[in-house]
Parts: sequence; structure tokens; C-alpha cells
Amino acid sequence: MNRLLVALSFFAVLLFGAVASQAVHAQSALSEQHLQRIRQNCVTAQTALNQLHASDALLRVNRGQLYENISTKLMAPLNSRIALNRHEGLKLAATTLEYDRQTDVFRSSYKDYEESMSRLLQINCAEQPAEFYESVQETREKRQRLHEDTETLTMLLRAYKTEFEDFSSDFGGGAE
Amino acid sequence: MSEEELIAEAEHLNAWQRHKFMVLVGLTIALSLVLVSVSLWLYNTSGAAQLDLSRPGYQSVRDQVGQDTDFEGYASSGVIDEAALDEFRKLYDEQLERATAVESFGGSVMSNEALGIDAPTAQTQ
Repeated sequence: MNRLLVALSFFAVLLFGAVASQAVHAQSALSEQHLQRIRQNCVTAQTALNQLHASDALLRVNRGQLYENISTKLMAPLNSRIALNRHEGLKLAATTLEYDRQTDVFRSSYKDYEESMSRLLQINCAEQPAEFYESVQETREKRQRLHEDTETLTMLLRAYKTEFEDFSSDFGGGAE
Repeated sequence: MSEEELIAEAEHLNAWQRHKFMVLVGLTIALSLVLVSVSLWLYNTSGAAQLDLSRPGYQSVRDQVGQDTDFEGYASSGVIDEAALDEFRKLYDEQLERATAVESFGGSVMSNEALGIDAPTAQTQ
């Protein structure tokens, strides 16, 4: 029983220490002037973040539709048509697979980003400026990852276009 | 059956027989709460919540959702010839242009400067 109490006390001290050091670290990383500036611009920052949250949701829906349409209504039908006509379309099919995989990564990254943004919007920056600042940084990193995912998708779309033009020129050359 | 007979019969019922209707109602409510909790959990974890623009806070952007339902796409059957390839090229270029025209989720709108939470310089102190 005593051992159990000692062990529980030890873990409680460890947990308290970790939480306290985290709070101290968050406070100490920023100067008092910086914290004051965050408090002063708190309403402006939160308004901007709220607008960004809404416009990002719209962008996600529209982009999601666009990416989905390209895959299901353009890439897949062309690959199918090439296969049905017994032409060589392995590169196009491989790029489509990679593109579909990357759209899943995009969806997952957006979910992470949106959850982080929702947590950020719940922080009262007038009372917790240091936590707010840290949360902004974390959300910004997730937004950067999301941006990179869209860049990768753009790169794959261009790669598919290049492969299509190669196929088209080979096809034209073969037909002559 | 008269009222007296019903009362006499009810006196012989045990607790379960007397309250089974209330238990049934209680179990139905409990089951519906469990099912609602499961559906809300699925709604949040599946990513559907992030796409749901009917939530409060999205009124301003709700009517700006693009309607791509009329985009029929490319036929998956048919011959492959120059005309078919040209048709695909035209459709693909249109969508490629839409996908690459604007930078998505750029970082500048969320910079410290844009939000007004950057560290004050010596001059502003």
C-alpha cells in the first residue's frame, strides 16, 4: 500500500513538473513586450483566423471536388480506354495511382490542419497569449504541409499531362 | 373486464411486470443516445465534419461552393484516335488550368506579420 502511494506521488510530481515546465517554457520564450503586442492585436488576429477558417473550408470543398473529378472523370476513363484499345498506358496508370494516393494524403493533412485551427480558435489570446502564439506556429506548420501536398498534386497533374503528350505523339507517330 | 378486476389483477404482478413499459422506454432512450454518440464520433473522425459547410460560421462561404455536377468528363469506351486524344487534351487542359491557376493554402496569410503578432522591433517599443 505504501509502495503504491509512493509510486503515485512520484508520478504526480513528474506530471506536475512536466506541465509546469511546459507553461514556464511557453511564457519564457516570448518577451513581455511581445506578449503585450499579442494581447493588443488579439481581436484582429482572431477575426482574421476566423475568416481564414471559413475560406479554407470552402477551398477544401472546391479543391476536393476538382481533384476527385480529374481522377474519376478524366484520368481513369482515359486509362480504361487505352487499355480497352490494347495500347501501352502503364505510365499513365502509375501516375494516376500516385495521384489518388496523394489526394488521400491531402485529405488527411487538411483534417489535421482543420483540427489544429479549431483548437487555436478556442484559445483566448488576451488571457493566454503564449499558448495562442505556440498554437499559431503549430497550425502554420500544418498549413505548410497542406500547401506542399497541393504542390505535389499539381506536379503529378503536370506529369500526367506530359505522359499524355508522350503517348499522343507516340500514337501519332505509330499511326503515320 | 371491470376496473375492480383490473386492479385485483395488477396487485398480483411483480415489479418487472408492473414497470416493463417504463424499462422499454428507458432502454430505447439509452440505445438512441449510444447510436447518436457513435454517429457523431464517425462524423468527426471521418473528416465529414471538415467538409460540412452547413455548420455555424460558414454562412458567408456556403453559396460559393462550386457545382461541378454538369461536368461529364471523358468517355471510358470508344476508339483511340487523333480526335479522341484532342477531346481529352481539351478537357484536361481546362481542369489543369483550374487546379494550377491559384496557389492553395499559402503561408503568407498566416504569418506573424499578417496576424499582427510578430515580435515588436526596437523602434516600436
